[in-house]
Amino acid sequence: MAYAYLFKYIIIGDTGVGKSCLLLQFTDKRFQPVHDLTIGVEFGARMITIDGKQIKLQIWDTAGQESFRSITRSYYRGAAGALLVYDITRRDTFNHLTTWLEDARQHSNSNMVIMLIANKSDLESRREVKKEEGEAFAREHGLIFMETSAKTASNVEEAFINTAKEIYEKIQEGVFDINNEANGIKIGPQNPMPGPTGPHNAGQAGGSCC
Amino acid sequence: MLTRMKSAVANFMGGIMAGSSGSDHSNGSELPMRFPYVRPEFLGLSQDEIECSADHIARPILILKETKRLPWSTGYAEVINAGKSTHNEDQASCEVMIVKKKTGVQSTPNKTSSNKRRSSLPNGEGLQLKESTEVDGITFQYWALFDGHAGAGAAVVASKLLHHHIVEQLQDVVDILKNSAVLPPTCLGEDPETTSANSRTLTRAASLRGAAGAPGSPSTPQTRFFTEKKVPHECLVIGALENAFKEMDLQIERERSAYSISGGCTALIVVYLLGKIYVANAGDSRAIIIRNGEIIPMSSEFTPETERQRLQYLVSPTKEALVHLFLNIFLAYKTIEEDDLKFPLIYGEGKKARVMATIGVTRGLGDHDLKVHDSNIYIKPFLSSVPEVRVYDLLQYEHGADDVLVLATDGLWDVLLNEEVSEAVTNFLACCDPDDPHRYTLAAQDLVMRARGVLKDRGWRISNDRLGSGDDISVYVIPLIHGNKLT
Repeated sequence: MAYAYLFKYIIIGDTGVGKSCLLLQFTDKRFQPVHDLTIGVEFGARMITIDGKQIKLQIWDTAGQESFRSITRSYYRGAAGALLVYDITRRDTFNHLTTWLEDARQHSNSNMVIMLIANKSDLESRREVKKEEGEAFAREHGLIFMETSAKTASNVEEAFINTAKEIYEKIQEGVFDINNEANGIKIGPQNPMPGPTGPHNAGQAGGSCC
Repeated sequence: MLTRMKSAVANFMGGIMAGSSGSDHSNGSELPMRFPYVRPEFLGLSQDEIECSADHIARPILILKETKRLPWSTGYAEVINAGKSTHNEDQASCEVMIVKKKTGVQSTPNKTSSNKRRSSLPNGEGLQLKESTEVDGITFQYWALFDGHAGAGAAVVASKLLHHHIVEQLQDVVDILKNSAVLPPTCLGEDPETTSANSRTLTRAASLRGAAGAPGSPSTPQTRFFTEKKVPHECLVIGALENAFKEMDLQIERERSAYSISGGCTALIVVYLLGKIYVANAGDSRAIIIRNGEIIPMSSEFTPETERQRLQYLVSPTKEALVHLFLNIFLAYKTIEEDDLKFPLIYGEGKKARVMATIGVTRGLGDHDLKVHDSNIYIKPFLSSVPEVRVYDLLQYEHGADDVLVLATDGLWDVLLNEEVSEAVTNFLACCDPDDPHRYTLAAQDLVMRARGVLKDRGWRISNDRLGSGDDISVYVIPLIHGNKLT
């Protein structure tokens, strides 16, 4: 389907925090209580609209387990947005945020938009991490923050879409070099704002035959 | 999962509508594609997922998710190249096929085998079939890797059709093979002398003429053929595999007038039939068995360097100059391709013998229209579609859970030695939960990761700061213990 832009996202965070469930809720609008452990990487995609423009989100869902860390690290490159997820019912997942953030900062491009997500907000009775703590961490590190529930779908749309809005604004401000695919942004064939190569060629930016 | 289902339907329709799917490109001169570009069917990827996977910057390693999808808990992982071609030009397929004796009616490979495919069963359980459970057929397991060059067309076609040619070829000898199959499995793999020689021998020529399939006498021992030379039944299988490769190549040649089948491909296949593993190779992919830490090579590569003798013989000794010319042409060709690279950074230094995918191989399928650069000389006459086939008697050894057959395209072997691969797999499996259904896929993923490496300032790097592989990389890890369980 035609789109104005394609943004690449990556979802990271400890194992079991609900990364795959967030993706499934966003792409398929459903919740799967028992989910196989993600090994390696899985993909999802969905079209959203921002400022009247069709934007395709291409989302990479990674394995949270320590043993896959070196593989996961290698996927930061070329992402425009990252959802860093922790579980409000497990403090250790919050404590590990610093490590995740260091990893992300070190291996991604510097303009990558990072959204901090406190997942499982439906499990209020088992909460171990206060909302204020998450907000403070986000403020301190310059991240956007949101509490979500992949189970009830609360704030899930918003988390993905607000990240896209932030990226979109950065494009408008000229922060992102949209002609460099390593930034995780591709211009689609229907982009009304032609780059130097013109809209038609830009649509085929990813492809050249040999 | 729903999207996956949708995509499966779409893929299926795409297969049926293969002709029309390529019609976007047809502007009079261009032919429709024989099959649309795909990734291996067993990965079960949607169109969106295929799009995501074609990321030359992050190079995601794709792995087999549903472990029951492949026979023997086989593991699989792949990664796309670093930018030398838009698509991943490696292809893979894995099937469990049943060979039944040919009926009187003439039929094409496509039609006869479409109803014999078990992989189309919804949950893949059909792939776990026990051997020879069919009343009148023989089951074989099939794993294949194809490495395309100058386009993905030939590799896609071969991945869709080669196993049907194998079925077709085996149909001619199925009766003879079956006669040995009814003997106790302990006799399998023994010298044919130990069993009734009369019932198991026939001349290769007779078998190729199809005499074995004489109608009306399925249970009669093949006494008519105890002639001058005895042919053990594994030679019949080898012959069938060789012929299947040739037929596949001929089909590509025939169909290129009606379809666009771009480029050529190498082919490395494994067939497990009646207690024996047959590895057939044409090209520069490689298969090794790792048994108790020991490496048993199961293939050799066919490149201009290794095939000098065949080429020489081909042109006759008096025309040695032509061979020199030919070899030089190969080298020249590679150089040109190298210059064309879009990511010279990744390929630009410390060049190992791995040169561009184009035509660094002397055996394979396709390439019928390939000409020497800037000339009218066809290269095809120098290429051969005949594979080298090696046989491994699976039943002669008691295999452990960590004994595996590793198949991989040259993307792996260009940067890792057999010993490194063996050590990596052995160490990985030793640390892996023996009951983890994903263990062989994780081992395959680990191998791909070791060969791809990580992207640093100076390109993809692997251990000891060596250059990683910028090529497409595809790896099967096939546990051999499952072969023992089958008997």
